[in-house]
Amino acid sequence: MVPITYYLLLAAALFCMGMFGVLVRRNALVVFMCVELMLNAANLTFLAFARMRGDSIGHVSAFFVIAVAAAEAAIGLAIVIAVFRSRGSVLVEDIRTMKH
Amino acid sequence: MNLAEFFQVAPVAPDLLAPSLGLIIALPLLGAFICGVFGRMLGRANVHLIACSAVAGAFVLSVLAFWATSHTAPGAGDGARRLLAFYRNPFGIEADFVRYALAYDYGTWFAVGDFRVNFGLAVDHLSGILLLVITGVGFLIHLYSTSYMEHDDGYWRYFAYLNLFVAAMLTLVLADNLVLLFVGWEGVGMASYLLIGFWYTDPAKAWAGRKAFVTNRIGDFAFLIATFLMVLLVSAFTRQANAGDYAMAGSNSQRYQAALQEKGPLTFKGLEKMAEGLMDSNSDKVDLTTPIEAGPLEGYTFGGVMTAALLLFLLGAAGKSAQLPLYVWLPDAMAGPTPVSALIHAATMVTAGVYLFSRMAALLVLSPTAMATVAIIGALTSLLAALIAFAQDDIKKVLAYSTVSQLGIMFMGVGMGIFWAAVLHLVTHAFFKACLFLGAGSVMHGNGDETDIKKLGGLRHEMKWTWGTFLVATLAITGIIPLSGFFSKDAILHGVHHNHLEGLHWVSSAVYYLGLVIAASTAFYMTRLYLLTFEGPRSKEARVAHAHESAWQMTLPLVVLAVLSVVAAVYAFPLMRSSSGQPQAVFENFLSPVFSAMNRIANGAKTVELDTSVPHLADYVFAWLVALSGGGAAAFLYLRFFPARAGQPAPAFARAVRRTAQNKFYVDELYEFIVIRPVKFMSFILFRVVDALLIDTVAVRGTAWVTARVGSALRYVQTGDAQAYAAVMALALLGGVAYALIQVMQ
Repeated sequence: MVPITYYLLLAAALFCMGMFGVLVRRNALVVFMCVELMLNAANLTFLAFARMRGDSIGHVSAFFVIAVAAAEAAIGLAIVIAVFRSRGSVLVEDIRTMKH
Repeated sequence: MNLAEFFQVAPVAPDLLAPSLGLIIALPLLGAFICGVFGRMLGRANVHLIACSAVAGAFVLSVLAFWATSHTAPGAGDGARRLLAFYRNPFGIEADFVRYALAYDYGTWFAVGDFRVNFGLAVDHLSGILLLVITGVGFLIHLYSTSYMEHDDGYWRYFAYLNLFVAAMLTLVLADNLVLLFVGWEGVGMASYLLIGFWYTDPAKAWAGRKAFVTNRIGDFAFLIATFLMVLLVSAFTRQANAGDYAMAGSNSQRYQAALQEKGPLTFKGLEKMAEGLMDSNSDKVDLTTPIEAGPLEGYTFGGVMTAALLLFLLGAAGKSAQLPLYVWLPDAMAGPTPVSALIHAATMVTAGVYLFSRMAALLVLSPTAMATVAIIGALTSLLAALIAFAQDDIKKVLAYSTVSQLGIMFMGVGMGIFWAAVLHLVTHAFFKACLFLGAGSVMHGNGDETDIKKLGGLRHEMKWTWGTFLVATLAITGIIPLSGFFSKDAILHGVHHNHLEGLHWVSSAVYYLGLVIAASTAFYMTRLYLLTFEGPRSKEARVAHAHESAWQMTLPLVVLAVLSVVAAVYAFPLMRSSSGQPQAVFENFLSPVFSAMNRIANGAKTVELDTSVPHLADYVFAWLVALSGGGAAAFLYLRFFPARAGQPAPAFARAVRRTAQNKFYVDELYEFIVIRPVKFMSFILFRVVDALLIDTVAVRGTAWVTARVGSALRYVQTGDAQAYAAVMALALLGGVAYALIQVMQ
């Protein structure tokens, strides 16, 4: 059996890659995918601990995260499309409306 | 059924009536609410109807309550009647009922820890007689006001305030504990403020209202401190008292503690029991010289704290009852409508101090020092006010100073332990002084609001009813046999002469001789007032050529009050027998259940020698001669001497004396210099340093300045770039993780 440490290290690596993408990529769609990556890293951690403890709480949490991620994807993509229609661009650095 | 039996059977049984005592207060309060809120819509006649009927209803209930205090039931024996009691005193041992009283407790008003105040009302003979005076004279003055205020647009406001005043005054009198009394005490102060400044568009009148309010506040502050001292005193007493003390008070420890739980520490009956427990004794009991062992008053003796509290109560009473050093507001209070002066500033509110000390007579007699101070303050105030009244030309100002002077006489009586006479003088004074003020109002009403007596004169032919009643009331206050004022004043002077305070024997004689001077002065200035207003030819400077007599609503109260100021003399006749068989004045006998504890303490503690003799014929003749000499001097001066010398300048010294008296001995200027200027200066400094600099500049504007500067610095951080924000979040998360890791490692 694979020790839990490896799962956790993999999850941490995925999370860091996702976060790096969120912070540096310019295209909103890619940023979005990186967010998904971070969520899945968190899922992996939940499942690893569930397996270690042998109960189902981790599984329940993972299902919740999947549901929330689906909803978030639906709304997020809709926003991205709306932004593209109004501004003709999905580059994050072009959208600075939070300043106002 | 004979007459005595008629008065001993109340038409409404006391136990039925007791729960309705609150209605006596509620009726005028309701009247005030209706007149104040809906008065303008209701119209003048409806407001008159509501205000008068509210007070009339309170008067009927007061009569019933007063009647019920003497209710008896058929007893054993031939025609004997047994006194029933309806006022259980929880502080005494089982079946300790207060005689000639009825009470009802509406339950807890508020409770904080051990401290509790009940909404308890009680009527005994003292508060009963005051209820009758307040509602009876109050009703007459309401009736009078309907005519007096007929041209004023603020009628609804006026009657709302007047009803509010009556409600507050009734609360003051009905309360069975100090806190509820204080509610009434403040209520009458507020109503008085509102009514003095009734014509608030005139700045001088609004200012007079403020002066009254501020002066009263000084006294109220002292009253509050004294109340707190009483709470501490009661707790110290319950901590240290032993079985002997409780036995002397007719109680025991469990009983007293349970009563404190039930009624709170500030009921008059509880304080009375404590006073009895503190009486002097030669054994190991707690008495006035015992030091207090614990608490904030540790180290002081019971007697010392008691004296301090009573002196603070004196300051409170001096504020409300216009005594030195706080009397200055009352003459200015004449800015209000004249019926208000009659009701509040002559008959009822200003006597609250006398009532307070009569209610707490049992405590007052524990401290000869406090009693002597009360008597001396009263005598000095009375003399000063009488002298100022000599030279005042405003008819209402003369009456105002006369009120201050008469209140001083009542304080003399209270201070020398002749409580019943002080209360009797309170009652008779309410009658004749209300009559005088209403007469003055009638004179003003008929003469185009002229108040200068030099510009009146000769009114006896034009205003016959006003003249007749004013004459009766003048004779009553002057002290001419057989009017009530003579007997009540003489009863006070007699008591003052024959009572002696332990260790302070000189006070008795000093106050007595001052009293004689005051009596002569009273006769002088009242005769002067009467002569200049009603006798002689009509002044050439009169505002209207012919005065007109007032309407029946104004003359009827005058007649009733004049009749009352004659027949109230019956109260002072020695028609009754005391328990030891001596002749006793009717009123003394009537109030003896109220003052029984005071008598027990005075005899037991030997702080004051109470004399029970009645005046001899020679005393009466002497007092009569004193009054006649004062009145005769005024008559000679103002009918013969001055008219004969008309046109010639008066001697220089006479003008100087007159100027000083006319300027009220410069007391107001003295207060201005000693108190008001320094306070204003302090306020100016506080305004400049604390308000303008610290609060305005540093706190208020400083906060705004710092916020603005910080904001303009932080705006450079806000780029609007989502990724920059996310980077900050990530860094913060990293910091949190690093911190957690360090914690885990350690």
